Amino acid sequence: MEKIVEVKNLELSFHTFAGEVKAIQGVNFEVYKGETLAIVGESGSGKSVTTKSIMRLLPKSSTEYKNGEILFGGKDLLKISEKEMQKVRGKDISMIFQDPMTSLNPTMTVGNQIMEPLLKHQKLSKSEARKKSIELLTLVGMPKPEMRMKQYPHQFSGGQRQRIVIAVALACNPKLLIADEPTTALDVTIQAQILELMKDLQKKIDTSIIFITHDLGVVANVADRVAVMYGGRIVEVGTVDEVFYNPQHPYTWGLLSSMPSLDATEEKLYAIPGTPPDLLDPPKGDAFALRSEYAMKIDMEQVPPLFKVSETHYAATWLLHPDAPQVDPPAAVIERMKRFPGSRYYTGNAGGVR
Amino acid sequence: MAEKLLEIKNLKQYFNVGTKNEVRAVDDITFDIYKGETLGIVGESGCGKSTTGRTIIRLYDATGGEVIYDGVDVHAKKSKKELKAFNRKMQMIFQDPYASLNPRMKVLDIIAEGLDIHGLVKNTKERTARVHELLETVGLNREHANRYPHEFSGGQRQRLGIARALAVEPEFIIADEPISALDVSIQAQVVNLLKELQEERGLTYLFIAHDLSMVKYISDRIGVMHFGKLVEIGPAATIYTAPLHPYTQSLLSAIPLPDPAYERSRVRISYDPTSHKYLQDEEVIMREVTPGHFVLCSQREFETFAK
Repeated sequence: MEKIVEVKNLELSFHTFAGEVKAIQGVNFEVYKGETLAIVGESGSGKSVTTKSIMRLLPKSSTEYKNGEILFGGKDLLKISEKEMQKVRGKDISMIFQDPMTSLNPTMTVGNQIMEPLLKHQKLSKSEARKKSIELLTLVGMPKPEMRMKQYPHQFSGGQRQRIVIAVALACNPKLLIADEPTTALDVTIQAQILELMKDLQKKIDTSIIFITHDLGVVANVADRVAVMYGGRIVEVGTVDEVFYNPQHPYTWGLLSSMPSLDATEEKLYAIPGTPPDLLDPPKGDAFALRSEYAMKIDMEQVPPLFKVSETHYAATWLLHPDAPQVDPPAAVIERMKRFPGSRYYTGNAGGVR
Repeated sequence: MAEKLLEIKNLKQYFNVGTKNEVRAVDDITFDIYKGETLGIVGESGCGKSTTGRTIIRLYDATGGEVIYDGVDVHAKKSKKELKAFNRKMQMIFQDPYASLNPRMKVLDIIAEGLDIHGLVKNTKERTARVHELLETVGLNREHANRYPHEFSGGQRQRLGIARALAVEPEFIIADEPISALDVSIQAQVVNLLKELQEERGLTYLFIAHDLSMVKYISDRIGVMHFGKLVEIGPAATIYTAPLHPYTQSLLSAIPLPDPAYERSRVRISYDPTSHKYLQDEEVIMREVTPGHFVLCSQREFETFAK
């Protein structure tokens, strides 16, 4: 499969008054053509920073790229000039932000905002751009697009604004679309509509999507592959089935067990103890060790490398080392593993899948 | 059935009354809250669920209807003394733990504010001791008392909000989206804390949220709101396994679950308010379909539900 973007060994820090925040500490991943990669993790895990560095949207004054490269179309995006980067932004790579209330310009008509990338990147004439914008609005399911073109963002609801943001992002048929929590600010019913729209459009224009979210339900819905981030590193990556039905990292176990399931009647929710690590002074060894009941001595000393589980599935935990003792994951996770052929808990009946 | 703690009768909360922008945020809703239970209220933003909570605790004066707490009408005229006694029984936890704590007050003073107002402590020593005790109850340390809110994380701030609500020993707590602003791993911690406190102190909760899976987990009963109306209310399990109102069905079918196999087969039902085809003279009211399970419906619909 064709790789659209490849992030190699990315390391970056922010310089703040309090000191150096080691936000990303060696991140590797790639996105293939036409797929959706979901990045999950809690606030401060580095998921937004990673994608903002692909777009080069981080403040120059405080950001230091310490290591690594971001390969896109044969070029390292971290090395090219700002002028070249402007040709990439909004054309080859575009982004949808979390808050549709603030990511549109309140003083510009919606039509002008959709036409902007078309005029800039595709050098269309004004009338052509207008025609294309109306098509785009129709594509994202906006009724009466001609009339809507002349309106301002405040005249739209949250879900409609997010549709407009999507129309702007898709205007130049980008190769890569980065969606940073695009549905977090929306209601479940609107969220469902936006997710359906995104999947639908992805099929039509064959774009790759990096989808950032902390909602595991949304991940299960949209993702082909999932990367779990914790403390500035990717701790587990695999196909959506591998991560949900055969998770290997204790943090992924914790995340999956702390969500109540709609059909279960558990008495007490599993809560991951403690708080996320302080990246001003990142812990030695495995960043999750202090919150993990599965932590071993080595976790306190050395950062675990990514161990291979399958061709597509990797996890950074010493538990996968051949010398590590075999441990049982939490009960809720074992329930999931029973449904995954190839896991040691697999019960063999395919009826486990609802 | 358990004892009623709160009766909400035909509660109405309209804004901009008399102008053409009149908003019927809460439009004639009736339900009861029983002692020691958790009632969850779900619905989309703008459906009036937060307004309901705020009207019950008298942050708004109701346009119409009654809220009866332990036999006393909340919105009736009261002397200052009566009001104070009443305020002690009912407390609120807010959604945004960043906006609901005064940044210029120390934790000690934030939590003790209620104690001071109600004269619950005699001297400074007792006051400090009580605050320390409350901090420990919610899983924080006594050393935290001398810090300011900005020194805490979101989850810890929400714990402070809970400690503040508990300070005056209320019987009833309204939690307005208490976990929406928190990370997944922290949400479970706060929900577990709320549950533990309920068991220890026999608290009654009104839990307002839009995260339906958390609501199901914490609630004994659930009410579903749509456009200012309560459309369905009943035991949590019934609402989830056998929802009757088409809006509830559509809301449930929209929730993504952390289960890829289920997600691939999930079919979303959309709700069309005109699908009821109510006739002009039809009476659309809450009707009890099975014991404790009420649905907003017409007589015709009721008959089909009953089958």
